[in-house]
Amino acid sequence: MFIHNFKYSLLLLLKNKQLIFWTLAFPLIMCVLFNMAFSDVTEKTGKSDPVNIAVINDDDFKSNSIYKDTLKTLGEGDDRVFNIKYVSSDKAKKLLEDDEIAGYLSVNGDDVKVTVNSTGIDETIFCYVIDEIKSDSSVIKDIGESKIEHEIKNGNMNIDYEKIYNDVSRKVLKSDVSIKNNSSDNMSDFVIEYYSLIAMACMYSGILSMTLINYKLANITSVGKRTSISPAKKGGMLLGSLSAAFLVQLFGLLLLYLMMIFYVGVDFGNNLPMIILISILGSISGLTLGIAVAVFFKMGENAKTTALIGIVMAGCFLSGMMGITMKNVIDKSIPILNRINPVAMITDGLYALYYYDSMDRFIINAVSLIIFSAVMLIISWRGLRRQRYDSI
Amino acid sequence: MIKKIIEVNGLVKEYKQLRAVDGLSFDVYEKEIIGLLGPNGSGKSTTINSILSLLKYSEGSIKIFGKEMKPDAYDIKREIGVIFQEVAVFEELTVYDNIDYFCGLYIKDKKQRKHYVEDAINLVGIGDYKKFYPKQLSGGLLRRLNIACGIAHKPKLIFFDEPTVAVDPQSRNNILEGIKKLRDDGATILYTTHYMEEVEQICDRIIIIDKGKIIASGTSDSLKKLAKVGEKITVEIYKLNDSIIEEIKGLKHVINVTYDSNLMVVSYDGGKNNIADMIDFLRNNEISYNKIYSERPTLNDVFLEITGKELRD
Repeated sequence: MFIHNFKYSLLLLLKNKQLIFWTLAFPLIMCVLFNMAFSDVTEKTGKSDPVNIAVINDDDFKSNSIYKDTLKTLGEGDDRVFNIKYVSSDKAKKLLEDDEIAGYLSVNGDDVKVTVNSTGIDETIFCYVIDEIKSDSSVIKDIGESKIEHEIKNGNMNIDYEKIYNDVSRKVLKSDVSIKNNSSDNMSDFVIEYYSLIAMACMYSGILSMTLINYKLANITSVGKRTSISPAKKGGMLLGSLSAAFLVQLFGLLLLYLMMIFYVGVDFGNNLPMIILISILGSISGLTLGIAVAVFFKMGENAKTTALIGIVMAGCFLSGMMGITMKNVIDKSIPILNRINPVAMITDGLYALYYYDSMDRFIINAVSLIIFSAVMLIISWRGLRRQRYDSI
Repeated sequence: MIKKIIEVNGLVKEYKQLRAVDGLSFDVYEKEIIGLLGPNGSGKSTTINSILSLLKYSEGSIKIFGKEMKPDAYDIKREIGVIFQEVAVFEELTVYDNIDYFCGLYIKDKKQRKHYVEDAINLVGIGDYKKFYPKQLSGGLLRRLNIACGIAHKPKLIFFDEPTVAVDPQSRNNILEGIKKLRDDGATILYTTHYMEEVEQICDRIIIIDKGKIIASGTSDSLKKLAKVGEKITVEIYKLNDSIIEEIKGLKHVINVTYDSNLMVVSYDGGKNNIADMIDFLRNNEISYNKIYSERPTLNDVFLEITGKELRD
């Protein structure tokens, strides 16, 4: 029964154009679009022609070490991102009026403001990098705290707080500088968009499982009725179908990785096995989410697909796919949301691989995905095993 | 002794306020085609879904092959085939693959299954469409595929739930002939429809249900005897006075006369040579008519008399 169901489930999935689009084609299309969107920026920032900017060099700026140090780093060396002029407020305005700079930065306490005149590539890079520094400041704080906690646990009572924060800052900010860095230790922050893309692709496996589960439920589809009155046991059928869905999903991920590595040029470095592991766990989470949607959403197949895509896209949005700062905003203001958001678990797991020395955070995310999958399966189990209905 | 294949006793199915099946009891015997006849919403499909253990029912008991029918009664399910009202096939699979998939849920042996699938294809006459996809088939062919998917594993008991809805006359005849052949090959068949002509054509026994209750059962002939009407004569007349209608009502054995859309229908409770007498009457009264024909009572007349409404309401 397993092989029979596996074979036909595979056929059903591969011949369904809608499913193939969402699970195989859509992530690849997004990958191409991301590459097109970021290529100008990465080329600009990764090569010559640094962006001319000014910084209002007042007391507020001087006392903000993160911005001061980061911009200093970004304005040094042959591969610098910015040509920075440290000037007064009036001078900065004058430079902007004369089009000598793309924009200027002013720091007023916690309020950091970027002023630009137009919306060109240089201005975009300037705004983007400042946004990144804003985001990084919370990451630095977060990582720094965990390192301090780690030191305390190990009995180290002579903690050099400044050194820890400086090390962390350097590491985080270094990765900002090397936007397309191919070393195995660092990843570009643009790559977090690709993390979300991987997460989205993982979660889209839900469409595969949802479709196949619908075919087994007598109260949803007519073929479900036919299947339900057969002597075939549900366990074997479900296992065959879900295995087929998982195989198709893995094939889709393989295509996505090939595209990202060979077309986009993303270097996952030494972490590729871990990335594959979390992708597999993410895909299982997607499959189980699809099962839950199939069982609990009492609506037609198309409506269910729309609902599932909506859930996944919302998860992607909250995890930072449409704007990196969103992830940090959610982490700060509603952390529980990203703790139950499997997309965030996947992106955070990938993120942790590159920003944290220990595997703790990665493991927490991996375990969270396993728990998420288990919860989805447990709550769906009754519906899956259900054999008699109140109405059909 | 004839074997009971299905035993339904006091079946009750309620949907909140609505009692869809109201204490239904009946038996189905080996190798018979039994027709469950009733208007839309009378409880036919609910009865079938309850028998198949797809629906929870409030009261009653159901036995198939002498054993209680339950969702996990796999040995019983193995011998059952169902053709649902709605077409239950995969759009993504070819005709052959659809039949093979559903047959594979019952038959594990590949060689045997291949043989069975071919038999089913030949029985419903879709041999030329094996590699077609469902959306490439006409409505009639799709219905035939639906049937093939339900009977390919050669079940001993087959449920047909309105299999001919929206089917052209040629496909309908093909389907009905196929059902008779299945019975001749040894299957027991429970057939639901609201087309009385179909049950008259193929069923050995008929159960008429309305509002979830059995209102009459028996063979087609025995049911027709329940009707007061023994004969109906229809005459196409362009003009007819009320006085003539009153005069016809007074003729021997006439129990009712209606005149609508140039058609006069005269119902008799018996008598012989009624049509000849009617022709004489029309000639004597110098009434010109276009055509005249006589009909025996139908199951619809029986239903009409018992419930006061048409079967196809």
